[in-house]
Amino acid sequence: MTGLLQTIIFGLATGAVISLSAVGLSLSYGVTRFINFSYGELLTLGAYLTVVAVSFGWPLPLAALAVMVVVGIVGVLLARQFFDPILERGFLPLLVTSVGLAFMLQNLVRMTFGSSPIRFPLPLLRPWRAGELFLPKVPVLVVVIAIIAMLAVHLMLRYSRMGKMMRATSDNPTLARASGIATARVLATTWFLSAAIAALGGVLLGMTQIALQPIMGWSFLLVVFAAVLLGGIGNPYGAMLGALIVGLGIELGATYIAPDYGHAFAFALLVVVLLIRPRGLLRGSF
Amino acid sequence: MALSAYLVGLLTLALIYGVMTLGLHLQFGLAGMLNFGHVAFFAVGAFTSALLSLPPKGSEAYLAAGGQYQLGVGLPVPLAFVAAGVAAGLLALLIGATSVRLSSHYLAVATFAMAEIVRSVLTNEDWLTRGQFGIYNVPQPGRGGPIPIDLYPYAYLLLTVVVVGILLAVTVRLTASPFGRALRAVRDDEVAALALGKPAAGLKLRAFALGGALAGLAGALWTHSLGIVHVGQFVPIITFQVWLALLLGGRGNPVGAVLGAIVLMAITEATRFLGNVPFFEPLTRLNPSFVPSLRFVIIGLMLIAVVRYFPRGIMPERLRPPPPGKLTSPEQDAA
Repeated sequence: MTGLLQTIIFGLATGAVISLSAVGLSLSYGVTRFINFSYGELLTLGAYLTVVAVSFGWPLPLAALAVMVVVGIVGVLLARQFFDPILERGFLPLLVTSVGLAFMLQNLVRMTFGSSPIRFPLPLLRPWRAGELFLPKVPVLVVVIAIIAMLAVHLMLRYSRMGKMMRATSDNPTLARASGIATARVLATTWFLSAAIAALGGVLLGMTQIALQPIMGWSFLLVVFAAVLLGGIGNPYGAMLGALIVGLGIELGATYIAPDYGHAFAFALLVVVLLIRPRGLLRGSF
Repeated sequence: MALSAYLVGLLTLALIYGVMTLGLHLQFGLAGMLNFGHVAFFAVGAFTSALLSLPPKGSEAYLAAGGQYQLGVGLPVPLAFVAAGVAAGLLALLIGATSVRLSSHYLAVATFAMAEIVRSVLTNEDWLTRGQFGIYNVPQPGRGGPIPIDLYPYAYLLLTVVVVGILLAVTVRLTASPFGRALRAVRDDEVAALALGKPAAGLKLRAFALGGALAGLAGALWTHSLGIVHVGQFVPIITFQVWLALLLGGRGNPVGAVLGAIVLMAITEATRFLGNVPFFEPLTRLNPSFVPSLRFVIIGLMLIAVVRYFPRGIMPERLRPPPPGKLTSPEQDAA
């Protein structure tokens, strides 16, 4: 009973991290219309910088917040340097550039921190206990943080002026510009938000995985892609739904079908969905 | 002697990458399909050829090879080579059948994901592939024959040159053929091509399968040149090195594709000597993966730079000029 409960709760935590990361990825896709292959490296960067900040004696929550801001700024700077100048040249140059950027960032992390795994500095948390049942705190915490963050993104998109401008730009960039929306500012904000969410995703991934490796973000990216494509690219709400399916798919596949094929099962699910609905479950923009 | 052996090995590898790049030329250069999982076909070709040419289980040669694998058919290498192309082509046909109709982004991610599925199968099914341990003693054609052992790399290079020459000639013909022209039409404007009665999906599927088959042949060439095959050789960065080779050489030009692979290999091998730079020495002692990582940083930077500053490549695509007379292009109409 405890085993099943724990499997489910860890599965939910994985799903929540995928979900949050997928939201950040779809935000940038919604406004720029290309899939950012370097997004995973921002997760890696978030996790590693948090370790650095904690090693300087900062408490973990404060470190995570500061890293979100720093990675957000890094995201804007990288986009200014690499993506914005070729934004008008169609998606192929953007796609290939993002792959190149991913290899650069991933290996810069490897050059700085080495290839061997680093331990995420998570303080020991005792599980909650109810009679015979043990409820581990970390996955619950991960789920709660991810839900709060996604709720914040939802409120921002729905009600704030910037959120409305982002949605308008995503719907129709030309029309948005014609009606006086400063698309450059919207773009910068989107990059900041997307990167900051990635950093938080990286911290949460670090909390669930404990061992950090330079390749962690790149490998996790595939799972995030699966969620994003399942839900329909560019739609954060679809991404949340997709992530739930992928998270459950990985857990159920690994537990009941073949333990070595958890991720492969998620991709197979993705392929099946794409065959039936080639544009994902919920299509369109947000 | 040591240096020339090094150069021979390098040139062989560059030509093998050239074959893979020819495959991507058909898929992306001509048909415009974003294949981000090319390495899967390379891997399947390598394993197919290795397993089919290894001596069968229980034979004397099997025992001599240390008997580490389950499957071995003992086919002659040329047959195994052809089978590698067929197997990779069939895999491409299967993947293509599910995904050629997907729009560009979905195709890129779907192929990327399928390459990971293939890699995870090759890693986990270790009864077949010996997983991370790999298979040694893959037969090398003509090794131990009349050719002296230290001249063998030269002989293999010669063989590679011949095989790559034939494959290049075939690809050049395909590129100029009506099939190649129809593919370019689909790439440039799928709706217009459909309106002219071109079966766009069927054409793309054929290009995808042929491209996969070429990558499979490249895998076979590689595994027999090394005599080793293991899963760790087939990482996603290979796919993007092939992309870099294609973009560097010039998308849409098969000769450029092979040339791009050779230039890319020359540049990436040159970065190997970064390890000899005295300035990096203390850093290398601190972190052994410093210089190898730096090399990948350079490959990433090259991808970015080529796309941004050199989009047409060394040998740009050659398009036939429009026939003289009444036909005008839209730009001319506008002018």
